[in-house]
Amino acid sequence: MIYDVCIVGTGAGASGVAHKLVKAGIDVVMLERGGFYQEKDFSKDEVAYCKREIVTPNLAESYHTIETFYNGEWTKTTTFKTESTYFNGNIVGGSSNFMSGYFHRLKPSDFKLKSTFGAIEGANVVDWVMDYDEMEPYFEEVERLVGVSGEVTEYKYHEPRSTKKFPYPALDEHPISAKIDEACKKLNYVPYKTPRAILSKTKGKRNNCYYSNYCGSYGCSSGAKGSARASLLQPLLNNKNLTIITHAFVKQLAEKNGKVTEAIYIDTKTKKEHHIKAKLFIVAGQAVESSRLLLNSKSKNFPNGLANNANQVGKNLLFSAGGIGSGQLDESSIPLKELMVEGLFVNRSLCDWYYYDDNGQNKGGIVDFLFEHANPMTKAVKQRFKDGELLWGKALQDRIVHKITKTKQLNFEVFNDWLPTDNCFVSVDKKYKDIYGVPVANIRIGAHKHDLVVGKFLAKKAENVLKAMGATDISSSISSAPPPNLQAGGCRFGDDPKTSVLNKYCQAHEVENLFVTDGSFMPTGGSVTYTWTIYANSFRVGDYIVNNRKEYAI
Amino acid sequence: MKRRVFLASAVIAGGVFALLPQGAKSSVKLELFKTLEVVQEVLFPKGLDAPAASEFGATAYLANVSSHSSFLASDLHFLKRGAQKLMDEHNDFLSLSFKKQEETLRDFTQSDLGRNWVAFVLYFTIEGLLADPIYGGNKNESGWKWLGHNAGQPRPKKPFAELLGAEV
Repeated sequence: MIYDVCIVGTGAGASGVAHKLVKAGIDVVMLERGGFYQEKDFSKDEVAYCKREIVTPNLAESYHTIETFYNGEWTKTTTFKTESTYFNGNIVGGSSNFMSGYFHRLKPSDFKLKSTFGAIEGANVVDWVMDYDEMEPYFEEVERLVGVSGEVTEYKYHEPRSTKKFPYPALDEHPISAKIDEACKKLNYVPYKTPRAILSKTKGKRNNCYYSNYCGSYGCSSGAKGSARASLLQPLLNNKNLTIITHAFVKQLAEKNGKVTEAIYIDTKTKKEHHIKAKLFIVAGQAVESSRLLLNSKSKNFPNGLANNANQVGKNLLFSAGGIGSGQLDESSIPLKELMVEGLFVNRSLCDWYYYDDNGQNKGGIVDFLFEHANPMTKAVKQRFKDGELLWGKALQDRIVHKITKTKQLNFEVFNDWLPTDNCFVSVDKKYKDIYGVPVANIRIGAHKHDLVVGKFLAKKAENVLKAMGATDISSSISSAPPPNLQAGGCRFGDDPKTSVLNKYCQAHEVENLFVTDGSFMPTGGSVTYTWTIYANSFRVGDYIVNNRKEYAI
Repeated sequence: MKRRVFLASAVIAGGVFALLPQGAKSSVKLELFKTLEVVQEVLFPKGLDAPAASEFGATAYLANVSSHSSFLASDLHFLKRGAQKLMDEHNDFLSLSFKKQEETLRDFTQSDLGRNWVAFVLYFTIEGLLADPIYGGNKNESGWKWLGHNAGQPRPKKPFAELLGAEV
């Protein structure tokens, strides 16, 4: 059988386009590396979801090699040695199942970073080949289809909106949110109400949020979280145009006469190889794995990997720059009963410095506030060390009791642009292979020093808020270590086939029946998490393919 | 992948060894868990309100999770290596008084390996204190009760995020 369209991946970048195609009557097959979990399958099991690799490949099965600059040279290590993973949720719906859903749009200047702020030495900053106005209808569509709740906060850098309100009212807030507002007022900062991809009201078969207290890193048991699975795929499960094949690890795309002919996948349960034929192929396996697949798809016409005759695949990989910080709160700043309220959301951000003056106009970023995740194990194990001393017995027990019953840690996360550089990319190296014999992705992680300057500037502002709230032990950590779950770039879009992999519609310059629709297309990432943009772009590409379906005979 | 399911109902009073999954019953592993059981009790003894490691099932938990495919082979190796070193250096460790065992462990943490190993065992002891009882620790929710912890809902019906039924 020959499908109309074969999509590699089932996450946000895959499901937006799938949704559009299936609705238009196009036959779509989606290949997912992991299994199919639905609401009934999820639980708040900290061991399974936070402590072990259950919903990502076991590191003995697959891993990454990581290159970091150490003692004057690039040093390679494997993630099974460091016991860290760059996989982020390999089940139907991908990592969107496990996001916290802090949703921020890009702003108009994010689409023209170079022409707005100028070049930065050592950074490959370029303008996008489209502007905010073209993306805006799709940002809005995400609000409705995926479901975004919140209240629009007016402030000086707010991006233009085609609708006045979010389609879902704001989620219920924790008493601490009012304290943040008070502190911001004192400091003359705008307390920005954070929109969330979490339903405050039911939508079709999806129930509203039930404030479980365990959101980020966990699958959602009510369907409120706007995962690609709950919001876009499950509503189409009875549609005959949609086929989802699980436990399918795609190792290669085969090419003939300049076109992709089939996806070759390994059934991870039986270890058997299968071939899927289609007229059009869409890759969306999250940035690192998408570049890996193209680089591993070598053929006579593409000896360096599919769509890689200009040697651009894997280049200009992006993470999110910034870091984290925290302060401790106890009954000295808010009644203990209020502090210990569980489940309700903080939902406050600082966006006043998306642009900022520092001897000229600079690109800044945002800060999100959140409580430390409720996970009791994670909180308790951290108490083993006090000022470097290993505690056990009564000393440890007393410390655990205090930590869990008398205090709460208010965290903040700083997001600013991870500038694209020549030293942040994905490659493959024949020496390192997964258990299927497929070269794993090598990730070189070189961050631009400017990222730290901006991150530290923003962290100071967040620390000021914590101070004004009466928090203690305030600290922040802004570093060049990347958040492995916030990936973009690697197949940037552009007009010039020599310097970009994809055209404006995320179609490969070199292969006309190949599109890439996860975050890979982004030449710069903006100063927000990527999911909203990935969803919006996936819808946009979906519309493009539907409108041009005759060209592909689908 | 076939996964061993550790039934919560099997966690009954008595010695831990009867509860060990099959894979843990080889003589090497039995020695390992005998040592761990003593070490864990020293690290997490009975407190005024706190349940002791033996009460909440710290060793049963560790024996259970360490036999699952998600437990890294390198971690299991390290558990064995540290226990072996402790027993090599203090072959009477198991028969010492609690106070002497405590002192011996303090002494053991003077080396990097000893310190890392004790911290590592403590890590899994705390996991066993606060994990869902489905994994064999946190017996009768004693860890949660101690801290007044409200478990997230829904709780797991199967360990290790196994699917509840057939996939779609």
